[in-house]
Amino acid sequence: MHALTLPEPGHHDEMLLSSGAVRSHYQHFANWLQAQPPEMLARKREEANQLFHRVGITFAVYGDDSGAERLIPFDTIPRVIPAAEWRQLEAGLAQRVRALNAFLDDIYHDHQIIKAGRIPAEQVFANAQYQPLMQGISLPDGIWAHITGVDLIRHADGSYYVLEDNLRVPSGVSYMLENRKMMMRLFPELFARHAIAPVDHYPTLLLATLRQASRQENPTVVVLTPGQHNSAYFEHAFLAQQMGVELVEGRDLFVRDDHVYMRTTAGHKRIDVIYRRIDDAFLDPLAFRPDSMLGVPGLMHAYRQGNVVLTNAIGTGVADDKSIYPYVPEMIRFYLGEEPILHNVETFQCRNPSELDHVLANLDKLVVKEVHGAGGYGMLVGPAASRAEIEDFRARLLATPANYIAQPTLCLSSCPTFVESGIAPRHIDLRPFVLSSGRETTMVAGGLTRVALKEGSLVVNSSQGGGTKDTWVLED
Amino acid sequence: MRLSIRHVTHYHYAEPALRSAQLLRLTPADDPYQTVRHWQLDLPAAATSGIDGYGNRYHLMMLEGTHDTIRLLASGEVETQERTPCALPGVLDIRVFLRHTALTAASAAITELAHACAGKGTLLEQLGRKVLEAMPYTPGATQVHTPADQALALGAGVCQDHTQVFITACRILGLPARYVSGYLLNENEEHAASHAWAEVWLDHAWHGFDVSNARAPDAHHLKLACGLDYLDACPVRGVRLGGGQEVHTTRADVQLIEN
Repeated sequence: MHALTLPEPGHHDEMLLSSGAVRSHYQHFANWLQAQPPEMLARKREEANQLFHRVGITFAVYGDDSGAERLIPFDTIPRVIPAAEWRQLEAGLAQRVRALNAFLDDIYHDHQIIKAGRIPAEQVFANAQYQPLMQGISLPDGIWAHITGVDLIRHADGSYYVLEDNLRVPSGVSYMLENRKMMMRLFPELFARHAIAPVDHYPTLLLATLRQASRQENPTVVVLTPGQHNSAYFEHAFLAQQMGVELVEGRDLFVRDDHVYMRTTAGHKRIDVIYRRIDDAFLDPLAFRPDSMLGVPGLMHAYRQGNVVLTNAIGTGVADDKSIYPYVPEMIRFYLGEEPILHNVETFQCRNPSELDHVLANLDKLVVKEVHGAGGYGMLVGPAASRAEIEDFRARLLATPANYIAQPTLCLSSCPTFVESGIAPRHIDLRPFVLSSGRETTMVAGGLTRVALKEGSLVVNSSQGGGTKDTWVLED
Repeated sequence: MRLSIRHVTHYHYAEPALRSAQLLRLTPADDPYQTVRHWQLDLPAAATSGIDGYGNRYHLMMLEGTHDTIRLLASGEVETQERTPCALPGVLDIRVFLRHTALTAASAAITELAHACAGKGTLLEQLGRKVLEAMPYTPGATQVHTPADQALALGAGVCQDHTQVFITACRILGLPARYVSGYLLNENEEHAASHAWAEVWLDHAWHGFDVSNARAPDAHHLKLACGLDYLDACPVRGVRLGGGQEVHTTRADVQLIEN
């Protein structure tokens, strides 16, 4: 028998009801789990570790100069989502991403949402992520974010909340695919017992999305990587290989006569779509950072002429900025005339004096984030912070209030997870990957579930001790 | 005024460069204050052209074979008028020009300078005077990639540095401000004819201010490009593969043909 325990009060557990009984969608899995001897499960976990090492799915830690690569811990207890719940999530995600694309197309063209007074102009235009060089550029089908990773959490009330939208170069999808492969390999019998929606067609859907992004009949697609020193290089290589397209670095490409070409052993080949995994600032040293060695000189010109498509577009960061996030529900109402299906987290903008006062008075209860921060860095988790940390943030907030937002501390749901002492509840989030083309907004059923392996921790980022789980969306 | 311009940019590399790419903002556009009579670029290779997000005209030139020199010549004649505040905001929302960039990052020293303005004249004159006092015109003290706060700390600079410190200070004061590159007809020949000045959005119009010369730009000024900072607006921006050490010279001659 494995003992399953409830999380601390006030958290939703994915597997257990507050009575301790197993939720119906986890019943099959729980029955199976209880029938497995602990030694066998420990052996399977060891096997998974070795296999992941062999595949080479590792990551370099951001801010760790040693360059050491680590394995992201993989947990063998899946996160299970019932079919009806996923349908709701899917509708909410598609709605949100459609609105975000409409917003991006608007703020680089007619600025209607600003003229209508629904979002303050300064928030958008004075934002460091707004890219002046994109003003007036018309993209095929008005799609700016072809690939979006939306981070969701489930709160104590049982509802999903969007924590952030990732519209620049969202990563992590390779873990979704590899985690599923691993689970099928370790526990094939589980997949015979459950009707689990497949995820392995993601590369096919991604390639279709990238091809549809071009106005060309039979476009040539490449994946552009900053190179093997990048923390997500494995994923770049993996996706290129899965899609059957070339993985290139900036030096493999050049611009001639307004078009982008790839150097190949058989001469030059024209490129129509670049799935770029390089940040905006490094894409073209003639347009952005002049010291960038990663990009392609003249790329911005070919892009401006409409002769190459970049996925995602340049300048999408303005829509996933934490200072724009509070306005996403308003975008959904404005562009789609619909009520948002997914909740936004209540957000205090420290740039507004009254909201700053509220934040300063409640630092011990709130989570404070840097507007441009990512990866769980530059963040204060009030309830877990020391007095000194709180005072440090108070000083920072007073110095540059506009750099910060604050949110209530969220009660991330928990999921039973293997830990040293056995099985214990650990907090999780969810990142589904939404694909947008002129034809449809779509996604595979599932996503990347990240788990905070430290007891009580709410920080799921892999760079700060997070692990991952397979995500099962059940079919009816 | 009718001005004639001849602007030569010359690069010489110690070793052959394998290939290079140049982005040229060397073509003035017509506006209410200047009319281009004729203009031409003489370049070592064919170039394609476009208009960027700021509305600037540019050419992109790729040199694919081995080369150790590049010579770029821009020349032509332009009719100029007295410059007055311009109420046309431009293609971008003016609030874009509230942004700080790597070259125009806010710093404590620039903030102090921005808030220390007092005395005779308009805000722009006072601010311009402060900048010029803090960093007198000194060729060679700074590089093209020196950020505003570093130039201010050095206490020296050229028109590029004066302009970048000035627009940073304006943005700190909540005034949208942009960097302008262009040419100046110089009667005293102290400053280079290739020039930079600022434009600040005040009372619903762009007001020019030439910090290095402590006055508003006038018919002596010919505009090439504008942007958030030097990098957005500079006349020539290039990258190359190979080439080793570089010797870069640029000379712009502006002559008065008739008043």
